Amino acid sequence: MTAPTAPSRIRRQLPSSPWLFAAPGLLVAGAFVLWPFLSTLADSFTDRRTLIPGRFVGLANFREMLDDDMFWIGLRNSALYVLGVVPALVVLPLLLALLVQKNIPGITFFRSAFYTPVVASIVVVGLIWVWLLDERGLVNSLLETVGVGRVGFLSDQWLLLLSAMTVTVWKGLGYYMIIYLAALSGVPRELHEAAAVDGAGAVRRFLTVTVPAVRSTMVLVGALSSVAAFKVFSEVYLMAGPSGGPAGEDTTLVMLVQRTGTGLTGRVGYASALSVVVFVVTVALMLLVLRADRKEERV
Amino acid sequence: MNISRRALIAAAVCAVLPLSACGSGDDGGPADASGKIEGDITFQTWNLRANFKPYFEGVIADFEKKYPGTHVKWIDQPAEGYADKISADAAGGTLPDVVNVSPDLVAPLAKAGLALDLDKAAGTYRKEYLEGAWASHQVPGLSGTYAFPWYLNTGPLFYNKTLFRQAGLDPEQPPKTYDDLFTDALELADRSDGKVATLANVPTIEDFGRYGVPLMNEDGTAFRFNDAKGVELLTRYKELYDAKALDPQALTATPESSGKKFLTGAVAMNPGSALDLGNFKKQAPSLYDNIGITEQITSTGHVNMYVMGVMVNARSKRTPAAVAFAHHVTDAERQMSFAKQVAIFPSTAGSLDDPYFTEEDGTDETRVRIAAAKSLKNAVNYTPVLFSEQMKTALRNEVAKALQGRQSPEEALDNAVKECDTLLRQQG
Repeated sequence: MTAPTAPSRIRRQLPSSPWLFAAPGLLVAGAFVLWPFLSTLADSFTDRRTLIPGRFVGLANFREMLDDDMFWIGLRNSALYVLGVVPALVVLPLLLALLVQKNIPGITFFRSAFYTPVVASIVVVGLIWVWLLDERGLVNSLLETVGVGRVGFLSDQWLLLLSAMTVTVWKGLGYYMIIYLAALSGVPRELHEAAAVDGAGAVRRFLTVTVPAVRSTMVLVGALSSVAAFKVFSEVYLMAGPSGGPAGEDTTLVMLVQRTGTGLTGRVGYASALSVVVFVVTVALMLLVLRADRKEERV
Repeated sequence: MNISRRALIAAAVCAVLPLSACGSGDDGGPADASGKIEGDITFQTWNLRANFKPYFEGVIADFEKKYPGTHVKWIDQPAEGYADKISADAAGGTLPDVVNVSPDLVAPLAKAGLALDLDKAAGTYRKEYLEGAWASHQVPGLSGTYAFPWYLNTGPLFYNKTLFRQAGLDPEQPPKTYDDLFTDALELADRSDGKVATLANVPTIEDFGRYGVPLMNEDGTAFRFNDAKGVELLTRYKELYDAKALDPQALTATPESSGKKFLTGAVAMNPGSALDLGNFKKQAPSLYDNIGITEQITSTGHVNMYVMGVMVNARSKRTPAAVAFAHHVTDAERQMSFAKQVAIFPSTAGSLDDPYFTEEDGTDETRVRIAAAKSLKNAVNYTPVLFSEQMKTALRNEVAKALQGRQSPEEALDNAVKECDTLLRQQG
């Protein structure tokens, strides 16, 4: 029996070499994604507090949630946020992208202007909108001037939520517009020309050519924006205040996680259970959108 | 080859396992301050570097000179999220040796065994401080004192004389009692057609305390602010809210937003400190010219006092140096010199008798300082040390529901007490 040659040794080691290349990424993902996730999952079955190690309590945290009014308020507001924000973020950036798609003089300025809110800090954006919508802010002054009277954008439970949704849509428009611009550049011009020759107007061409061509991008935008909307925190926190609006009625699920689980007296176990619910719902939302897309594709 | 796969898994586990060990174990140093004062310690403050860097550098230099072989590393954290920063450090086992805290932050740290009991470790210093200030860092259910008292603060109530005058009220006769306040507030709202509110904040636990409502039972095991007097206070606030004498955005207001409303003349009264006078002068000169200054409104005769403390980490490896430094920062000499730099008051015995706190020089700043120092002598820290952020939110939300008319004041306070008691039990 002869000793293995050098090339055969290399061949024997080859199957594991991809793991070596992936190792740094896997280690980082393991330490900063997988481990915190597993840790949160484990904590959700304990009564752990910030400074006190928890004991295993089984499903007690999840049972407590069912009787927790704030949980249902948070779930309702997060769900409303998805319903209010996602359709707007699927449709409006597409229309905006169509407007700025054409290469006409000065269009770069408008593209940049529409994109500016995306790069602006959410804190700055939130403060600006709070100033605008304040009882004595610019919007209310204008409304009073035209005889409408002052509107409680920041003091009424529903108007506050609607105001926060407006900010989310305003800030997200530019981001999704860029995604649509990329998708629109891939729509064959001939299809539009053929439809035009057949007598289709702008609206018809949009519905029969543009929309089907960017449908998969619309699904992607829908999936991304619905997950982001369900996890909303900053906009509502900045506009409704740390207590989550009047009587906490504008609290979202992620705000509840933050409020419950942070600080020296934070209920880490309960907040982890809430986080698990947020995770499950966001995964469900993604699956729902993707499933609907596949069903439509089959049809 | 299987070996490399196993090696990878082992490497991953080795990388991840240390993270799980964070915060475990008690590897602290001595529990008393009797050893040699030496070594490196860390000192954490709360938003002080921006304005007081030279002062603290001087304090540290004095200490290092007094105790050769010591070195103090000063860490200053932003005020925003300070409690979260401390909790992350405490949970991660990286809490600094000496920490600037307020009593409500000390309580959970003491319960977790992270705050050194100064009655045991540094009881000899006790007599240097005002009795009430020393007691402010004691935690119901635990024996001991868990931080050196540092500076005290109280604050006047500012009012806008122009708005008072426009409403036909005497700007030289501001309200002194809650009854006066409610009467004047309703008058102001009525005369301005609801455009000028008198207050911009819903009642907090301190308001209940100042109104004479018992906040907790004697053992500190249950809350009690849902008694008849508490209901009476909330009922009066509801009247104010309905008459727009309480700002419509009060339900979501923060101290910053209500301060801004006062600055812009949208509300007529706002609590503050002598520090605010400088802001008014700079940002709203016309308001400054018409500013009225009066004492906090109280039905008990005792105004509210805020206490700041300096805690020693019970797991510090340099306990003698940490205790010595915490005492050094809070001793009479240092507190007095700090008080002369900023509008705060020393918690050391006899310091408030210094002419700086008793002799008028004709300026508003001095007038505010002297009035505050005088009221401090019988002031009370109404915020129970066990009243957590979650409890503040619970009270605020129930109060908001009562003001909106969604539940009666009785129901609101019963619900708030029930929720706070549950949170208290969960604190352990």
